[in-house]
Amino acid sequence: METIWLYQFRLIVIGDSTVGKSCLIRRFTEGRFAQVSDPTVGVDFFSRLVEIEPGKRIKLQIWDTAGQERFRSITRAYYRNSVGGLLLFDITNRRSFQNVHNWLEEAQSHVQPHSIVFLLVGHKCDLEAQRQVTQQEAEKLAGAFGMRYVETSARDAINVEKAFVDLTRTIFDLVRNGDIKIQDGWEGVKSGFVPNTVHSSEEVAKGNRQCYC
Amino acid sequence: MAAPSFLLYIDRSLFARRGKDSRAVEKRDPGWKLFGKVPPREGTIKDPKRIQKEYETKSSRAGPGNLTSPRQGVRKNLDFEPLSTTALILEDRPANLPAKPAEEAQKHRQQYEEMVAQAKKRELKDAQKRRKQLEDRCKLEESIGTAAQTWNQEILPNWSTVCTSRRVRDLWWQGIPPSVRGKVWSLAVGNELNITHELYNICLARAKEKWKTTPAPAIDTETEDADSSDRESSLELIKLDISRTFPHLCIFQQGGPYHDVLHSILGAYTCYRPDVGYVQGMSFIAAVLILNLDTADAFIAFANLLNKPCQMAFFRVDHSLMLTYFSAFEVFFEENLPKLFAHFKKNNLTPDIYLIDWIFTLYSKSLPLDLACRVWDVFCRDGEEFLFRTALGLLRLYQDVLTCMDFIHMAQFLTRLPDLIPSEQLFQHIAAVHMTSRNRKWAQVLQALQKDQERRSPVLKR
Repeated sequence: METIWLYQFRLIVIGDSTVGKSCLIRRFTEGRFAQVSDPTVGVDFFSRLVEIEPGKRIKLQIWDTAGQERFRSITRAYYRNSVGGLLLFDITNRRSFQNVHNWLEEAQSHVQPHSIVFLLVGHKCDLEAQRQVTQQEAEKLAGAFGMRYVETSARDAINVEKAFVDLTRTIFDLVRNGDIKIQDGWEGVKSGFVPNTVHSSEEVAKGNRQCYC
Repeated sequence: MAAPSFLLYIDRSLFARRGKDSRAVEKRDPGWKLFGKVPPREGTIKDPKRIQKEYETKSSRAGPGNLTSPRQGVRKNLDFEPLSTTALILEDRPANLPAKPAEEAQKHRQQYEEMVAQAKKRELKDAQKRRKQLEDRCKLEESIGTAAQTWNQEILPNWSTVCTSRRVRDLWWQGIPPSVRGKVWSLAVGNELNITHELYNICLARAKEKWKTTPAPAIDTETEDADSSDRESSLELIKLDISRTFPHLCIFQQGGPYHDVLHSILGAYTCYRPDVGYVQGMSFIAAVLILNLDTADAFIAFANLLNKPCQMAFFRVDHSLMLTYFSAFEVFFEENLPKLFAHFKKNNLTPDIYLIDWIFTLYSKSLPLDLACRVWDVFCRDGEEFLFRTALGLLRLYQDVLTCMDFIHMAQFLTRLPDLIPSEQLFQHIAAVHMTSRNRKWAQVLQALQKDQERRSPVLKR
């Protein structure tokens, strides 16, 4: 049976090749760290339910994109229908941090007329000894672009849950306040299988319980 | 063969308790019994007293002073009982409940016997199936042997005259024996580019020179334009991707037997075609070739394969041409599987979502390797058309499951195909795909769409 969810958000994960996009998503959706993984060619798909408040579930549809420069002309077509994005760089690879600008420009020029809520993610924070990007400068950059910043590690499962849940919560608030609207022909946000009459969280919880009978 | 440990555990503890209880309470129902422990039936109806007696003799045998017997009992009984039987049955009711009526007891006994009979039947069937599988395998190996002989002695020596004959084409469809696969691929792909072993060595030497002179990733590249930094990093990317190529095979990784070979071929190619460079997905194609050909021949096949129009369009990421390929694919998709096509349209599932990975890696990442090689066999025979025909075969094979899925499940299913794909069945479905649309063949449809697009506008549609 399909679990009841309030909304479905489509998130896109971008960043240079080998910064660990697929590993981060796998840690989040499958709960494990893959020692070896294929390079992503084109795009891969993942999904998971997130409970942001008791009884309030959001279904995340996560698009994992290829990082190589060459694939950008393909992946740029996927921005338009995403409501949120994780922009990854590898804290042990300075170039991947410098490319954050390019990724943002690329995304902003292809997302019109919509917009994407981005979260800047410094990945592989378990490799502290090889760090090439300080937390301060990453936070400064994120602040300049109005993003939040978080450091994660898929290997040691640090902040992985937090990164996705925080982003989901931010988008949820924007949707609730009407800053982001559900629109026909736009896949970023879809409303779920909850009866229209449900308003309070208690009622949502009740609805969910019924589904488990 | 060994009984599961939980079975032993339950068994032992039950016996221990039963032993104690039997001395304390004179009249008591036997309670739980292991499936395999039911004694052979003597009479048709059994009265509770008799059961009790039987039970007592048994439990005294398995009393606290005789700890090893339950384990032995399990072994012995497993000999004649189906191996898979681990369930417990309630032979008679516990003492605090009224006894079962005789007919009910009889009914239950009958049901139990039926279950045992069925389990035995099932095992017999399994054994027959295993024997059949073994026979099939022997047959298959024999036919591969004969086919290899035919290819070696009759077909390869007369390649240019027989390669288009009906008989060879039919044999080709069955799959090329692994021992001649590389040779056939080489011949079928050809060497339009006239690459020699010397040229390969020159390109390789140039690549090695570059690796030596390229220092560790430069840090101040912010001023460089994206394009050149991409090409520079492609040498770096090759290194990172090699270890991510068929990781489960453990032969392309650092220290593995083919690590350097794969590195050499990809490096040499970036020097041979700097305008194309290294693109993710290439490492899989090179790896499959390495598994079937010597290094220099693998490079020749690699460069010629990538030079085909479809591969060039994809690896150079010529977006408008790729879209033309997708449109042509959709023409045949709608023609062959109208119901599924409508379902995809309704869910906004566009072909790029699954075709990009399939075409870029020629199915070597998405299909099991032996099946991917069979697809390559016919791809070498029929050209790019077969890549799209295979895609339609896959969609046709999984049509029923796909029709019941929503967008995300379809996308996940198609980008991560099942681990076990029945190869004969897949090829039957591929064979059933018609590659003509209103009397036009693949190449004609593609050409018409290309002209159409050129006429309309050179600007990208999406």
